[in-house]
Amino acid sequence: MIKTITYSEAIREGMRKRMKEDPNVFILGEDVGEFGGCFGVTGDLIKDFGEERVRDTPISEGAIVGCAVGAAATGLRPIAELMFIDFVTVGMDQLVNQAAKMRYMFGGKIKLPMVVRMPTGAGSRAAAQHSQSLEAWLTHVPGLKVVYPSTPQDAYGLILSAIDDDNPVVFLEHKLLYAMSSEVDLDIDPIPLGLADIKRQGEDVTIIATAKMVHEALAAAEELSKDGIEAEVVDPRTLFPLDKETIFKSIEKTNRVVIATEETKRGSYAGEIAAIIAEECFDYLDAPITRVCCLDTPIPFSPVLEDYVIPASKDIVHAVKKLL
Amino acid sequence: MKAIGIIANPASGKDIRRLVSHATVVDNNEKVNIVKRIILSAQGCGVDRVFIMPDTFLIGYKAIEDLKISKELKIDVEILNMKIKGNVMDTIRATKIMEEKGVKCLVVLGGDGTNRAVAKSITTTPLIGVSTGTNNVYPEMLEGTVVGMAAGVVATGACSIDQGCKRDKRIEIFKDGQLIDIALVDCVISRQKYVGSKAIWNIKDIDMVIVSRAHPASIGFSTIVGTSLIVGKDDDFGALIHVNSGNKKVRAPIAAGTIEEIRVDEPRILKLDEAVCFKPTYNGIMALDGEREVPFKVGENIEIKITSHGPYRVIVDRILELAQKNGFFET
Amino acid sequence: MDLSNEKVIQMYRTMKRIREFESKAAELFAEGRIPGFVHLYIGEEAVATGVCANLKESDYITSTHRGHGHIIAKGGDLKYMFAELFGKETGYCKGKGGSMHIADADRGILGANGIVGAGHNIAVGAGLSAKYRGTDQVCVCFFGDGSTNQGTFHEALNMASIWKLPVIFVCENNLYGISMHQSRHQAIQDVADRAVAYNIPGVVVDGNDVLAVYEAAKEAIDRARSGQGPTLIECKTYRHRGHFEGDPTIYRDPEEVNEWLQKDPIIRLREFMLDNNLLAEEDIKKIDEEIAAEIEEAIKFAEDSPFPPVEAAVEDIYTDIVEEVRR
Repeated sequence: MIKTITYSEAIREGMRKRMKEDPNVFILGEDVGEFGGCFGVTGDLIKDFGEERVRDTPISEGAIVGCAVGAAATGLRPIAELMFIDFVTVGMDQLVNQAAKMRYMFGGKIKLPMVVRMPTGAGSRAAAQHSQSLEAWLTHVPGLKVVYPSTPQDAYGLILSAIDDDNPVVFLEHKLLYAMSSEVDLDIDPIPLGLADIKRQGEDVTIIATAKMVHEALAAAEELSKDGIEAEVVDPRTLFPLDKETIFKSIEKTNRVVIATEETKRGSYAGEIAAIIAEECFDYLDAPITRVCCLDTPIPFSPVLEDYVIPASKDIVHAVKKLL
Repeated sequence: MKAIGIIANPASGKDIRRLVSHATVVDNNEKVNIVKRIILSAQGCGVDRVFIMPDTFLIGYKAIEDLKISKELKIDVEILNMKIKGNVMDTIRATKIMEEKGVKCLVVLGGDGTNRAVAKSITTTPLIGVSTGTNNVYPEMLEGTVVGMAAGVVATGACSIDQGCKRDKRIEIFKDGQLIDIALVDCVISRQKYVGSKAIWNIKDIDMVIVSRAHPASIGFSTIVGTSLIVGKDDDFGALIHVNSGNKKVRAPIAAGTIEEIRVDEPRILKLDEAVCFKPTYNGIMALDGEREVPFKVGENIEIKITSHGPYRVIVDRILELAQKNGFFET
Repeated sequence: MDLSNEKVIQMYRTMKRIREFESKAAELFAEGRIPGFVHLYIGEEAVATGVCANLKESDYITSTHRGHGHIIAKGGDLKYMFAELFGKETGYCKGKGGSMHIADADRGILGANGIVGAGHNIAVGAGLSAKYRGTDQVCVCFFGDGSTNQGTFHEALNMASIWKLPVIFVCENNLYGISMHQSRHQAIQDVADRAVAYNIPGVVVDGNDVLAVYEAAKEAIDRARSGQGPTLIECKTYRHRGHFEGDPTIYRDPEEVNEWLQKDPIIRLREFMLDNNLLAEEDIKKIDEEIAAEIEEAIKFAEDSPFPPVEAAVEDIYTDIVEEVRR
């Protein structure tokens, strides 16, 4: 069945599908029940599944993640929602020291099928504590998988895989994409974690972009096309595991690469992708690897300031033109 | 010197009855507050010196420090210089030291267990028991301010102690003719073998209950008698009842929130100093004032008596009435 | 309360196994045969023993950095424990966890834990899981007094209370958070008082009296199984050794240590058994010898076991991804 739905509805429908199929899947988080989630992602799920399975929690991020760890270790498949990725700081021990390490510390004798969903990214005038892109922190930790879809269809296909995975999966959702709608095939097979998608074919330059930056990259590509430059836009979709093969193949063709993420540049996952390319794909490069990221500042409140620090399509256009 | 003593037990009000019978929790910071109120009202009623037992939670030190910071403390308050063990011996020793120091009234914050410890060593100093424990029969629920006033009346000699105090009964336990322990309210003979979590609440192990006082408006094992026979605090007798035998059934509040139906025989009145001989046919334990304390073995020679050798208890409302009549409150 | 002689004797065995295991671990550590850190449970044996004597194999526990006693009391195998301490392939965690991370999910042991206070929330998750799946399992969360100053303690008690989860919070108050005496690290003396804030029962028991611990735990566990929600049990106890092996314990008064040594839980239970004719001296001696032999055998097993192959380092991070090996 193909329906036109939003990115947030796609995530919800994916969760609904798995909750219908498997009674061990349940949701917990702040205001996810009757209220429907701070960004409306859980929506009406409580009507279908009741408050046991769409469970409102106190404002205790450590307990939300920790509770998911305990539940996953004892046979359930929890989906925890943190209201903003910024709040993972409060639950970081449970995610980094517990969830990510438990299987390894216990010699592989336990599995933790759990998803932690985190609304991510800037642009909603939410200032420094509700706007971050912390994917570098999360991808840094062995034991976590990190997913970051850019379209409703990808969000749907990836949330299914995230729920099916027997490991802790961090599922990042860009807040400004929630309202984006497009046709979604609800009967597709889950999109495997670790499979990138080429969002636009091109010969002249590869733009690796994540989440909202995929759309900025596509806009930049249209702009560049007017000047006869054809950019290929690669969306990794999963940050770990990372589909290196698709990235390398594109670079083999274009010999130039721009990496566009919304993270602050210093210590970013964009830097990690750049390092991987430099180590493993250097011979195919005709120009320096270039990153387009957020300026190294906290996200400011005032719209003029926020728009200035976060990267946009014009920054990508500018970066590409410098390479050619 | 118009001195009073304060003993506050940091361990009272925490035992397993919180779990088995919804009993009240009294946290130690509240005990600090009660001690502060007692000191201030005693100070306001003419007491010039207060001695406090040291304890592991530093209740006395905390009270003094707070009152110094708030600049309310005008009199000399001293923490006894004694090494503490963090157990019941502290209370027993502090009682003795305070009497040697010449306190005129001793205020005890704790439960039946704490008051029983005081009763083991106190001689003639009048006692005010303030309930901060569980299921208490002996100490009363009293506001610290009122307690401080009553202690002030006693310490300043504003009225006759004979009129405002009463010597209580106690239950004495002898083994081979030697006094080994006492209880103020009840002695329960149980088939349980071990002290465990101390508090006692299981009826089916119980054989016999001996009481110095009993009333249905009370709580704990003495009510097994009290629901059939009232034994007043001031009556010159006690009573004994067998449990899980006889043909009668009573319902009694044996713990907070716990009304149990219990099979008993008729209670038997025990005159003062009348000895009950108990030769156990099983190993068990005696619970004194609600706490499993004294183990006994088959064939031991145990004697239990109600005597009039308990502590002198201040009758708080009476002593304040007498003080009022004597013009104590007019300044 | 019904407590059979067999159960009492069984608890003696458990306490003695813990004591001997830990004493040997101390020796082996001092001889440099065990790497890393070890935090010993000596002196606190009555707590794990009295509590776990009420648990079924399917029940859960979460433990701490001082976790050997909990694992043994929950039925852990000394061979695999020693092997883990030695970093051997045959250890509970294939040598990847060590002393602070021993776990055995098959016995409901959700792991010792190197982060103070981290087990509280995991226990809540396990409790939620038991309730969600409609089983009568409970989860016991062991922790020290120090961890009750972590936010996780408060989050967990709150959550367990509002959802009436079958979680029993067992505080092993050994008077010190590492070097800091309890009177300096919190403004209360009884951790049990904190239960009031979360509307759950909070009780204090003598943590060096295994019978007292057993009794309180039984009430709390029955309560949890029957759907009445969590309980906080505070066991007053003392660690005979330092925070870790090698800790000079300059922060403790030798007289205080000595007083607690007099209250040794194993000696107390031994005396109780002798006084009540549960066992004769020679029976106890026989038990002690059996345990000593079991320990020797476990150490031999550990010593004879191979270290893991180095390539094992990249396995067991994920269920389906094996990281690259060093070339």
